[in-house]
Amino acid sequence: MKMTPALLIVGALLVFWASSFIIVGIPAMTMKEIPSDDWRPLSAEEEAGHRLYVRNGCSYCHSLFVRTSDWDIGAERIAQSGDYVGQEPAILGSERTGPDLSQEGGEHPDDWHKAHFVNPRFTGPISLMPSWEFLGDKEIAQLTAYVQALGGKAADLRQSRQKKWKAPAMAAYAAGADRNVEWLHSEVPEPWRRMPNPYPATEAALQRGKRIYQEFCINCHGPIGDGKGPAARYLDPPPLNFTTLRRHLVENKYIGGIFYYQIMNGITGTGMPYFKKQLESEKIWDLANYLAVSFLGYTDAQLEPRGIDAAYEGAWRNSHQPPGQEAK
Amino acid sequence: MIKFIEKPQSAALAFMVAGAVWFVVGALYGMVSAIHLVSPEFFSNIPWLVFGRERPIHVNTMLYGFVGTMLIGCGLYYMPALLRTRLWSEPLAWTGFFLWNLTVASGPLCFSFGYTQGREYSEYVWLADVSLMLSVVCIICNLVMTIVNRAEQQLYVSVWYFMAAFLWTAGNYPLGNVMWHPATGAMPGLIDSLFLWFWGHNLPGLLITPLATGAAYFVIPRATRTPLNSHTLSLVGFWMLVALYTHIGGHHVLQSPIPNWLKTVSVVDSVAMVIPVSIVVLNLWMTARGAGARVWGDPAARLVMGGIVWYIVTCIQGPLQSLPFLQRVTHFNNWTVGHAHIAMLGFGGYIALGAMWHIIPIVSGREIYSQKLVSLQFGLLTFGLTGFFLVLTAAGLIQGSAWHNGETVYRVLPELAPFMASRAALGIFILTGSLVGIFNLFMTLRHGRELEVRQLQRAEEAA
Repeated sequence: MKMTPALLIVGALLVFWASSFIIVGIPAMTMKEIPSDDWRPLSAEEEAGHRLYVRNGCSYCHSLFVRTSDWDIGAERIAQSGDYVGQEPAILGSERTGPDLSQEGGEHPDDWHKAHFVNPRFTGPISLMPSWEFLGDKEIAQLTAYVQALGGKAADLRQSRQKKWKAPAMAAYAAGADRNVEWLHSEVPEPWRRMPNPYPATEAALQRGKRIYQEFCINCHGPIGDGKGPAARYLDPPPLNFTTLRRHLVENKYIGGIFYYQIMNGITGTGMPYFKKQLESEKIWDLANYLAVSFLGYTDAQLEPRGIDAAYEGAWRNSHQPPGQEAK
Repeated sequence: MIKFIEKPQSAALAFMVAGAVWFVVGALYGMVSAIHLVSPEFFSNIPWLVFGRERPIHVNTMLYGFVGTMLIGCGLYYMPALLRTRLWSEPLAWTGFFLWNLTVASGPLCFSFGYTQGREYSEYVWLADVSLMLSVVCIICNLVMTIVNRAEQQLYVSVWYFMAAFLWTAGNYPLGNVMWHPATGAMPGLIDSLFLWFWGHNLPGLLITPLATGAAYFVIPRATRTPLNSHTLSLVGFWMLVALYTHIGGHHVLQSPIPNWLKTVSVVDSVAMVIPVSIVVLNLWMTARGAGARVWGDPAARLVMGGIVWYIVTCIQGPLQSLPFLQRVTHFNNWTVGHAHIAMLGFGGYIALGAMWHIIPIVSGREIYSQKLVSLQFGLLTFGLTGFFLVLTAAGLIQGSAWHNGETVYRVLPELAPFMASRAALGIFILTGSLVGIFNLFMTLRHGRELEVRQLQRAEEAA
């Protein structure tokens, strides 16, 4: 076969357009936009947020579809083609330096997002996301509105739950530090309130807990656990001051189970997220021991009843006495 | 009319010089991006230097600015040379030059301030899209007329690739960029991802690959002073490239809810890409068989051959990572970033640089200022890019495996830190390589020893 100019030009164009017809022509003719059950249209402000999302390159680090094999946030809802109706463009993303955002709506309250956009390290101390403070309050509010709409009707459901719990949380905080703790404890299911921390608070365990604290908690609750981290001024109600818990131990001895439950499930409506997707059992218990020992000066680790000790546990003795019973 | 735009081969030279400049610009943006992935508070809260804006500047400047521009410059020289004629119109080529570089310059100028269409590889705003299309049309007219006015009857394989690259881009670019929607450059809904990745993959596949393959087919036989191994093989490779490549963009959204038949087509054709790629690589390797010393001894040819090696690595990796089961681990993470770097800098960039160093003495009439500096550039890029590839591939495997083991994206970040730091350190080598290159090019054009007419003719006739 000899390559002539006519063959080159006509042939190259023919093969190209034939192939292109298959790969974009046929889909353009056959793919239909049918809204999924979760889809809803975006409001004007959410649209404005979507433009900001596109213009500022959020899609280079965040994807907008959950795969069947994913475990992270949104894993309960695998992406469907009808989730993207009318979005122009619906940038699915090719990279997850940050988490997928297709179900981000309602995962956090708006004030958490404000703190997070101003400086992502306020809410996630090891985050690699840039600060978007320069966008200003108006655009941050628009971006927040868009992010809160991700997930459509499912996001709306989560948002309504955030709003429902925000009111009592704010009321409890306004009633004073002690009333606040009493309300928080009252929302923890009964069995957890009298559950001692089953993990020994060994030096190694406390070091692990400290690492978790620094990677997740420190910029809200502060380096000394007083709730005055840099994120605090954005959050309403503000983060809990752990030191006040010392006078609220259940039966003057239990606190481990309350810590565990609240770290695991978060306090919806406030800036406190749930961590059960991020941290497994031992990490949460280690963190609970770290909080207790560091900020309360006491831990209920391995109080009775404790059942059969795990095989690896050595002869650790809890030297922490409940408040009022310290050895003189 | 200004004199220089009439001067033969001046547009080719301009394209090559612009490519070298864009390489430095792109590498600087890459460097800052890499630092931001280690330390996000470095240059914090500067609107025009925020990761989401600097990353597309890096990517587009490297793709269109460095590799694309430089390879077009090479082609504007070798195409008329292979047809034993002059470029039909030097001013028309300069028009193409200005329009093309206007588009590339719109990257840093627009993206920095949030003026972008935001779709990966299709970020340029509509006016810049138009400018790029006009540039492509200028080049097509010029090339077609050059072919018409040729003195050599036979069309060599480099001519096919160079010509076809623009014919395909003229269809590809407006389609993938959805240019009939000027405001967003996108289709509404999920189907947009098909248009997006249609161009997203055809940009490397049907623009950069033919440009680079054409340049390699030009340089290697000249450097080895042997005839091309097989014209039949080059024919098969050429037609298979366009028949298969066009189909495979879907593998970028393989795990999204696009239709299953599209996934199947994109996976099958991705795997089949092994054939045309192997043909090109084998054809060039067979051509160079027995002449390895000549290739290695000539820093320019060494760069081109290095590019061929990166090509085969890239294109073994590509089909593998299009396999659905494997892609669960390799997708969404730094594995892909590593793959993209060996494709664009390794394959496209090496061949662009090698072909440029090969051609510069002929179009400028000056000897390369320092062959040692070309070798140094090769060394810096090879060390930097090899390290880059290994580090990012390892980081990607860690991410992909950890995610599938139930760890969240946030939890895996500390594990990535040493890899991101190494990557930034290796980036210094690539940035330095780009600086060494532009210094050498500047010194060649200003102070390189002028070649005598006889030497120049011998260089031109070398094939």
